[in-house]
Amino acid sequence: MALSKEVYKEFEDVVGEENICDDPAIMPSYYSTEFAAVILPKDTAEVQAIVKLCNKHKLQFRPICTGWTGVFPKGIILLDLRRMNHIIEINEKNMYAVVEPYVISAELQAELMKRGLNFCIKGAGTNCSALLRGHGHMDQTTSGDDRNHLAIEWVTPEGDIVKSGSLGSSDEWYCGDGPGPSIRSILTSAVPPGVTPGVFTKAAMKLYHWPGPARFPIVGKSPKYTLSEIPPNMMARYFSFPSVEKMWQAELKIGESEIAYELMGFNAAMVACNITTCNEEEEEVFGRISKEVQGPGFFIIIAGNSPEDFEFKKKVLQKIISDADGRSLKSVENPETEGILLCQCIRISASIRETFRAGGAFNSIPVMGQRDLTIKWAIGAGKAKEPLIKKGFIVDDGGAFFGWGVEQGHLGKTEIFCKFDPLNAEAKAAVEGWQKEQSKRALKERYFANTLASDDEVEHEIGPSLSNYHLWWRKLRAAIDPNGVTPGGGALV
Amino acid sequence: MIEKEKLVKVFGAANVSYERATLDEYSRDMSFVNTVRPVCVVKPANAGDIQKIVNLANETLTPLVPVSSGRPHFRGDTVPGTGGAVIVDLSGMKKIILVDRARRVAMVEPGVTFEELIPAVEKEGLRLNMPLLPRKSKTVIGSILEREPVIMPRYQWDISDPLACVEVIFGSGDEFRTGQAAGPGTIDEQWAVGGVQKAPYGPGTASWHRLIQGAQGTMGIVTWASMRCEILPSLEDPFVVGSSNLDTLLELSSWLIRLRMVNECFILNNTNLAAIFTKKWPKDYQNLKDALPTWTLFYTVAGYEYFPEERVSSHIKGITDITQRLGVEAVKAAGGVSTNEMLKVVQRPSGEPYWKLRYKGACQDIFFLTINDKLGGQIGVMNDVVEKAGYPTSDMGVYIQPIVQGTGCHCEFNLFYDPGNPSELNRVRELSALAVKNLMAKGAFFSRPYGESAGMIINRDAATVAVLKKLKKIFDPNNVMNPGKVCF
Repeated sequence: MALSKEVYKEFEDVVGEENICDDPAIMPSYYSTEFAAVILPKDTAEVQAIVKLCNKHKLQFRPICTGWTGVFPKGIILLDLRRMNHIIEINEKNMYAVVEPYVISAELQAELMKRGLNFCIKGAGTNCSALLRGHGHMDQTTSGDDRNHLAIEWVTPEGDIVKSGSLGSSDEWYCGDGPGPSIRSILTSAVPPGVTPGVFTKAAMKLYHWPGPARFPIVGKSPKYTLSEIPPNMMARYFSFPSVEKMWQAELKIGESEIAYELMGFNAAMVACNITTCNEEEEEVFGRISKEVQGPGFFIIIAGNSPEDFEFKKKVLQKIISDADGRSLKSVENPETEGILLCQCIRISASIRETFRAGGAFNSIPVMGQRDLTIKWAIGAGKAKEPLIKKGFIVDDGGAFFGWGVEQGHLGKTEIFCKFDPLNAEAKAAVEGWQKEQSKRALKERYFANTLASDDEVEHEIGPSLSNYHLWWRKLRAAIDPNGVTPGGGALV
Repeated sequence: MIEKEKLVKVFGAANVSYERATLDEYSRDMSFVNTVRPVCVVKPANAGDIQKIVNLANETLTPLVPVSSGRPHFRGDTVPGTGGAVIVDLSGMKKIILVDRARRVAMVEPGVTFEELIPAVEKEGLRLNMPLLPRKSKTVIGSILEREPVIMPRYQWDISDPLACVEVIFGSGDEFRTGQAAGPGTIDEQWAVGGVQKAPYGPGTASWHRLIQGAQGTMGIVTWASMRCEILPSLEDPFVVGSSNLDTLLELSSWLIRLRMVNECFILNNTNLAAIFTKKWPKDYQNLKDALPTWTLFYTVAGYEYFPEERVSSHIKGITDITQRLGVEAVKAAGGVSTNEMLKVVQRPSGEPYWKLRYKGACQDIFFLTINDKLGGQIGVMNDVVEKAGYPTSDMGVYIQPIVQGTGCHCEFNLFYDPGNPSELNRVRELSALAVKNLMAKGAFFSRPYGESAGMIINRDAATVAVLKKLKKIFDPNNVMNPGKVCF
């Protein structure tokens, strides 16, 4: 699998001997596959040169940035983009930031907050790349999915540099679409399989107003941080409701009233994991607040641009909650807990405590799009978790699901997962069975089709049920990657 | 060429026209593109008809030009770019398929105009995010597919908004549904389980709708589209701020949008404001224009279901803090035209005659995207070009529309002229081409390249063109869809 000395030297000439490696003792630290080499380019020119060489020698490559996920066939070249970690521009007036792939969300957000701005922090967490496509806690006001990218600089699988939108025509980053039909249609960075082949070397992200402080008054030490005081015109609460229908009515009205900075449809289990620092504490708190809540619920952050705006939003919230027979969770009204949740949801994006801590692994079915429709499906998927809980295969979260509104409730995301011990083969198989069964039910009952499926399922079930999108995508990949140097997409998470 | 008998068999004799007078109507428009007469005009009734004509076109390599809006057309995109074309006139497909209040979405066929859809959505408590005063014959789908800027930038989260999903017959003849509409199941099956066609992205990781938008019918023919709608406010309070200093108004509008305090929000110069609001032509036009400030920012503050008065007053207080800092004042009228009247007018399509035709009978638009920092210099370039061409600068309308929640703006110059005066016509034609060239040199981004300047615009970005051509080859392998447009 190793590169010949001559070929290795060609790549080394591009990046320097310090930035290429084919040492079999070091490369497995990335992933458990046999890489041909790991190369660390420093800029677009080096990426382009490497991609050209890959085409010349018909060598396959995949780029990663912060590296949450990836599929890496044996013998592939790994492009580790960690040296491309610059914030190129923060344009305050026109509300966008331009970043390289290894800029993480936490550092961009810290810079933005000093300027009264914020952006969409993806649920993968603030240690992940800022230019990711995806959803996160603040989607209600910062949008999500593919809707936050503006112009993108893209090294194609053949090694051409394409600059989308205004960047290609006038060297500005504010628009990613045109001239004419938008190549942003195929420029997407998401979780593999199926992402755009090639390498995104810079991207402009849309920014949003941040009404909070330039920096949170954080006190405490790891793992227990909180705020010394709740910032002015800011409030966090958790409300539970007697039924899913009532919860949905409240969520709908909150979206229409445009009062929420964040609305996260946590269940009690997720509140518990976010406000606790270890599994034992989490179990105890979950037990306690499960008795306190009256049913499904959501966590909400209200943030006012002024004291008047804040008072108005609180008043509307109170009315909506009251109309839906909602009840505030007293534990979250405690300023210390409220502060922890503000930090968790705005600065950290919560995910690690929710997903990995209790079981060590999780399998998830995320659904983007129409919130009320996916809630309907998720109720059944939650019930289907109960036998797994009873058998002790997964962590007891009450069979719950979670989700949130996007763009003031115009769109939404719902997700349901099972936390389990990855070393327990029986548990792992049971969770995978649940995942498969619930995805099949979603397809059969016409709720949605889970495209994060196996190649075989996409080929025979998912693709044909979705306008045969897989066939179009395949043609498209063949057209832009004629030498097949980017197998299965170009992971960039 | 497709045989007449085959067309009559598909569409019925009444929906196929070879009449010279009819063909002439489609052979030119108010732009400066060459006159090219089509071979015939067909009027499909449904998606099945459309798929049949696309298949026939592929068999015979016949160019198809889709048209949804009624005349007058202004941009040359519906005039055949090559001989032997068949016009596919979709204006008869007028079904409003769905309006869903809770999910804030509507779904229509391509022939539905703004005038037809507005009452239907209002009945359900919804509203459309409109372009500024579209002509009465303009279809909703036509406007959305052209990425026409909308007057409520706060609700334009993405430049593709308000488009949600489409059904399209690609140039290959294949049917495809984008976004949530793709499946699983038929549209009826999706409705049965409570689904609507709202989420725009996918299926898979691509955002297929972005490929169809801005394509000027070169990728396929859309048979229906769904779009996001907004809640109809229960209270609206419109204002104007006039100034001779455009930068001040740009800064004000940036903050209003950033803080999400306003709905409608745009800037017009006095020429355009007078062209829209003059009641008695021609005598009142100049008086109104003289009475108006050089630049006017129009915006609306709105309240919804809960405590609307409190919402409005909280926003007005916030806005006053900004206007005071900037040294301007928000008022309720300009040139004797009340802001309530303005609001009423801009929430509907233009009255007849179309506002751009009232002054001189014709209008050439030059529009592009830019950012506020560059706008002043670009307006200066345009003023230079028109002055040197001998066109009166004061006759040029300017419309500035913040887009995508303040990340950029659409700038549009409206050159009014008398189409019966060859010297005026030629002057506008010549200065338009020069203006596009000079504006591009000053950083203007012509994201929607139309007409005579399209080649000059799109050739500037050869790398994007190369990718677009690869995509075109996939979705329209025989180049039957509107050949000669964009870069195809």
